[in-house]
Amino acid sequence: MSFVAETFPSSPRVFVQFCHGDRRYNPLDTLDVHYQVDGLGDETVRAVERTVLWYTEGKGEEDLGVHFFERIIDRQRLPPEAVLEGFATRLPLSPLSYEGVIVKIRWCVRVRFFFGGGRDFVSEHEFTVGRIPPACIPATTP
Amino acid sequence: MVRLPRFFGKKRGHRRTGSQALASLGDGAFHAVLLVAGLVFGGVLLSGLAVPEWRINHHFTPTTCTILGKGLVRRTFTEPAGGTTSTWQPCLRVRYEANGQPTEAWTQPSRTTLTSDRDEAVGRLTAWRLGQNVSGWYDPTNSATVVLERGYNWWMWLLALLLPGALLAFGGSGLMRAIRRWGRSEERSAVLSRFTDLLDPLANGPPQAADHPGVPTCDNLVNSPGTFLAYRLPIESPESWTLLGFGLFALLWNSVLTVLAIGAGLDLLGGRTDWLLLALLVPFAIVGIAGIVIFVRRLVLATAIGTTQVEIAAQPLRPGQSYELLLAHGGSGTLESLAMDLELEEQATFRQGTDTRIEKLIIWRKPIQSWRDLNLAPGTRFEARATVTIPDLAMHSFTSEHNAVRWSLVVRGTPVRWPPFVRSFPLVVFPAEATP
Amino acid sequence: MTDGTTSAAMTTRLPTNPFSTRFTRPGMLPPLDDDGVPVDVGRLLTGLHPGGAAIEGPHGHGKTNLLHAVLAAAVVAGRPTSFLRVGSRGWAWRALSMIGLARPGTVVGIDGWELLPAGLAGLLRVAATCRQATIVATTHRPAHMPVLARCETSPRLLAAIVDRLPAHGGCIAEADIDEAFHRHDGNVREALYDLYDRFERRVR
Repeated sequence: MSFVAETFPSSPRVFVQFCHGDRRYNPLDTLDVHYQVDGLGDETVRAVERTVLWYTEGKGEEDLGVHFFERIIDRQRLPPEAVLEGFATRLPLSPLSYEGVIVKIRWCVRVRFFFGGGRDFVSEHEFTVGRIPPACIPATTP
Repeated sequence: MVRLPRFFGKKRGHRRTGSQALASLGDGAFHAVLLVAGLVFGGVLLSGLAVPEWRINHHFTPTTCTILGKGLVRRTFTEPAGGTTSTWQPCLRVRYEANGQPTEAWTQPSRTTLTSDRDEAVGRLTAWRLGQNVSGWYDPTNSATVVLERGYNWWMWLLALLLPGALLAFGGSGLMRAIRRWGRSEERSAVLSRFTDLLDPLANGPPQAADHPGVPTCDNLVNSPGTFLAYRLPIESPESWTLLGFGLFALLWNSVLTVLAIGAGLDLLGGRTDWLLLALLVPFAIVGIAGIVIFVRRLVLATAIGTTQVEIAAQPLRPGQSYELLLAHGGSGTLESLAMDLELEEQATFRQGTDTRIEKLIIWRKPIQSWRDLNLAPGTRFEARATVTIPDLAMHSFTSEHNAVRWSLVVRGTPVRWPPFVRSFPLVVFPAEATP
Repeated sequence: MTDGTTSAAMTTRLPTNPFSTRFTRPGMLPPLDDDGVPVDVGRLLTGLHPGGAAIEGPHGHGKTNLLHAVLAAAVVAGRPTSFLRVGSRGWAWRALSMIGLARPGTVVGIDGWELLPAGLAGLLRVAATCRQATIVATTHRPAHMPVLARCETSPRLLAAIVDRLPAHGGCIAEADIDEAFHRHDGNVREALYDLYDRFERRVR
């Protein structure tokens, strides 16, 4: 299991565990994720959204496709009552992670916390699907 | 200084986002207004025009009417600037049997006889003779209502369906889009429901293959069988679109020119000379002739070079697999060179303000086969078989609203005495077969 | 791919390109002046009066980004906002309905004001004044309304933007920034695309 934490000053910290230590998956693999949030302070979490999605990155506008989405509003499953939460989903056949030149495709798990006053906090954790090697820039490119 | 919301954080991974208040409330309100206008307009047209007409054709009972009298209904309107205008409606007094009882009533002989000319209205009544028996239909729920004509006014139905329909579709889809986004995270907005799919089908982006999100469908690539191999691939030729564009321009421009020229010709025959129209016709004619010349030149170029066809043994393609190809090229003359490549292209679209920026980049190209000094004879065509192999770890075809990864077979030719041509034949490559 | 045309390292995750539109699109960076110093958006907001004001500047000079920042500051200040990106002349009616339905005090952002028909643009300003709303419009040419800001660019601005983007790991030198800026005549958007390409070439 991998255990990764990224931090942002004066913000909650989200710890995410992937069932594959290297975060590399194949199509139709089961993605099993556990997460834990820390540093919420006095903030009341009103809802949590867990999403598995792909998005594009590069020189075009960002497109995204949601594969798994769950919104939790049950207090028993929200922090601070719920310390460690998780979910699992079977990954689809496509699209595969792609390291193109002007178009890239990334897969990630997003956990979004909603607080009072309409504010929210999102934590994003990348993983790969498939084993497509990075594209090369053609020699003719200026 | 006002502290800005913290979506300016530069680190990725974690970020705190601001309120969704920038979501387009105004846009939603605009579409709601359109939707309500569509409902009201549609309701008025349906209840006031369409439903009564439908009842006449389906519910009214046939009877025989005897014409007893003729008359005119005058409607007088006061104009804002003072004065009045009148319209005249011919009407007939008829006797008929309704629900077993003799009944008399006034009715209109036709739905389109309203006129502002009294003499014309009187003239229309001369077609009807007193004592004449004619077919009629009365309302079984109100026997005093009788009509002498049935059928549908298709223009009215078209109006009743098209205008409110367009308002409902545009307003409904826009409102649904705004509702879907309002106060929601981008992930939740992206989760489409069946209901929103129905109202806003464009939200799905380009069509995708079943069970393969992000992979374009290959329906358009398998609907044309080949003569030797399974499928003939559709062509994506910028030259064809240019030719079509020039053809349409020449057609439309010269149609307008012809109408103007006929008008000017009739004037001349009638002894009148409209110098302004004649002066306008000269530059119009020059542009029209130039349009025809350019179109014909392009057409000759396209036909002289000849058509190119590519057939393939299977679709969709898979990485690591090889597929048989057939390249056929018609026409006449000599081709200095003809080559077929397999290409992978990325395309990214970025819309900023009023600018739309589309960038394409061919990131991989592999020659399949090439030929030199081909002599093409009229009535026959050059045919060659080849094999294309999709690399083991190739990226599959991908399409989303603003981004795409496209595979294609590209044929490049250099004819003698003609400019070189490029013709592209799109392919769809699926991901390699997955084993769970 | 296996035939030598792609990198041999399978599933290698290359460093994230900091010049992707994901990081550079309007709203992702604070607006900076031509010295690379953050613009006091709060001061701009308090200086707004009913009717409207324009953000002027050529393509790729940060007008839309500043507009987003003004709207975000308005949200923080508790004012209602709405936003319209004009696609064509026909969008004037959409703008008019948006202003007509605006609550008093609303800051209405209109991106691409110069596309609206001139006569109707005046009507929009009158409607905004009647509704006690404030139009903040981006435009490439004079809009005949008070100017809220004129966007100008400089190599220092581009360098400050690059500094605020995710780290490029030394792939981009100061000379690259300078060259990209001058190559695109001060169009920062195009210069960022240029830097995107340079990063991609060097990271592989």
